[in-house]
Amino acid sequence: MAEGLRPDPMPEEREATALSVRGDAGTLKLVSKATYFKEAALKNLFLACAFMAVAAVALIFVFVGYRGWPVFTEVGASNFLFGREWLPTQDLFGILPLFVGSIVVTIGALLLGTPLAVGAAVFLSEIAPPKVRSVVRPAIELLAGVPSVVYGFFGLLILRPIVADLTGGLGFGPLTAWIILAIMIVPTIATLTEDALQSIPNGIREASYAMGATTWQTISRVLLPAAKIGIVDAIILGMGRAIGETMAVLMVVGNAPGFFRGMGKPLSTLTSQIVMDMPYASGLHRTALFGMAIILFLVSMGLVLTVRLLSRFKEEGL
Amino acid sequence: MLSMLFLGGCSRASSAEHQLIVTGSTTILPISEVAAEDYHTLHPEEDVLVSGVGSSAGIENVSSGTSDIGTSSRELKDEELDLGLVDTPVAYDAIAVIVNPSNPVTSLTTAQIKAIFQGKITNWREVGGLNLPIGLVNRDEASGTREAFGKIVLDKQRFDPTAVILPGTGQVRSVVAQAPSAIGYISLGFVTDDVKAISVDGIVASEKTVVSGEYPIQRILHMFTKGEPTGLAKRYIDYVLSADIQNSVVRDAGFIPITAKAVNGG
Repeated sequence: MAEGLRPDPMPEEREATALSVRGDAGTLKLVSKATYFKEAALKNLFLACAFMAVAAVALIFVFVGYRGWPVFTEVGASNFLFGREWLPTQDLFGILPLFVGSIVVTIGALLLGTPLAVGAAVFLSEIAPPKVRSVVRPAIELLAGVPSVVYGFFGLLILRPIVADLTGGLGFGPLTAWIILAIMIVPTIATLTEDALQSIPNGIREASYAMGATTWQTISRVLLPAAKIGIVDAIILGMGRAIGETMAVLMVVGNAPGFFRGMGKPLSTLTSQIVMDMPYASGLHRTALFGMAIILFLVSMGLVLTVRLLSRFKEEGL
Repeated sequence: MLSMLFLGGCSRASSAEHQLIVTGSTTILPISEVAAEDYHTLHPEEDVLVSGVGSSAGIENVSSGTSDIGTSSRELKDEELDLGLVDTPVAYDAIAVIVNPSNPVTSLTTAQIKAIFQGKITNWREVGGLNLPIGLVNRDEASGTREAFGKIVLDKQRFDPTAVILPGTGQVRSVVAQAPSAIGYISLGFVTDDVKAISVDGIVASEKTVVSGEYPIQRILHMFTKGEPTGLAKRYIDYVLSADIQNSVVRDAGFIPITAKAVNGG
């Protein structure tokens, strides 16, 4: 009771005093000591949760960095990053073809997946009647929950023969991976784009219609430009999903560690090569795999930072 | 595969004399796994844990002590010779070259197969087939089958680097079964009616031609131990070599019993 009257409570007691009510005859405390401790314990529990996430990222980065760093001195940064041949049995650890492979697979998936996802989001947010929306939205969200190995199987058994007929090869290659990844990133991009569209105040739509704009004009001239930073955010996160995807890509891309030679020709990516080689790699080869993990880590860090910067632009109203 | 490694690692910490860890070649899994189950049924107090991680990983595991037995479908490499590993051959295996059943080609020479897998022959027309680009299916570098095939057929020269690489025998078989232009190689034990094994230098792969040495693409399957096998490791290996396993499990898996050579007099 006496503590409650203290004019300047200690910081850790602020929550407790905030929960008490000041009356005429001193303070009537509404919280018991047990409640107070529970509150404090919960606060610390949540703090620990948040800390764990940060610690996990930091630990992974330190571990991967520690295991992978020697590759830059033992193979040489330029031999590693710009080497044109990945032949671990002959001590050639050039990841350029694999990096190019990752980029090719990601860009293609974005080109196919983005229009699909943004279109779906526009439909859900602006056009679909509530009944249709209640069917389509869960369907899209369900796509996000399908395990990637299932996408891989689908690609291997259904898409591969179709692509084989189209390209004349065996059907392993970027085209198959593009289609699979495009489907996989639709939920990410569509949900975030829909959020961005939903956050536009209704008054803006009304103003547009009041000017005599049609639905299409409103969407293309007013809403999409207004949501553009949110959409770019969504695409970047979809890109992160695509570049990091491993299992589905491994199953359909062909895994030949050479440069991109065509849509229907086998290719390999950083992630799939790590999985292919991990079971047997030892020594410098294993170090090189961790080095590839560093590169992937840096790429996804770059993507997240870009999203952060974009959000800041948005807040500043640029 | 990775999780199996961790599993192996974890169990190892608490392993006593009644637990045996066998890792290595996925080719040998049908033998080592079934033998392990049967052995456990006969001796319920003893456990044999088997996982397939590839021949090279198996050899690495047994030499580093994380496994008691390393199975391998290839011979030791030069740098592995001084690890103190003792070899017990457990079966013969022949590698079959497989094509789609619709492919009219039924026979190739070793030289033709070599040229095909090096990317020098790229159309089936060049070896008497249809006018169709050849779809090469290769295995990953961890594969003992690839190692053996590369050594026997390609004289250790490079595979065509643009070939599709698949991480498992089953995947190679299913792709070859689906794609009319494909060619691949798998252990004779895994050939099914979905694919067609072609004869090599005019010799059809079979127990007779393998034991007699006529069929050129063949190898021996090994179990390696660090030093002479003792205790449970010895009891398990003896069980694998017993007539029970050799004549049923080894044969059922499509391999050829290691004891067949003496019997056939080859």
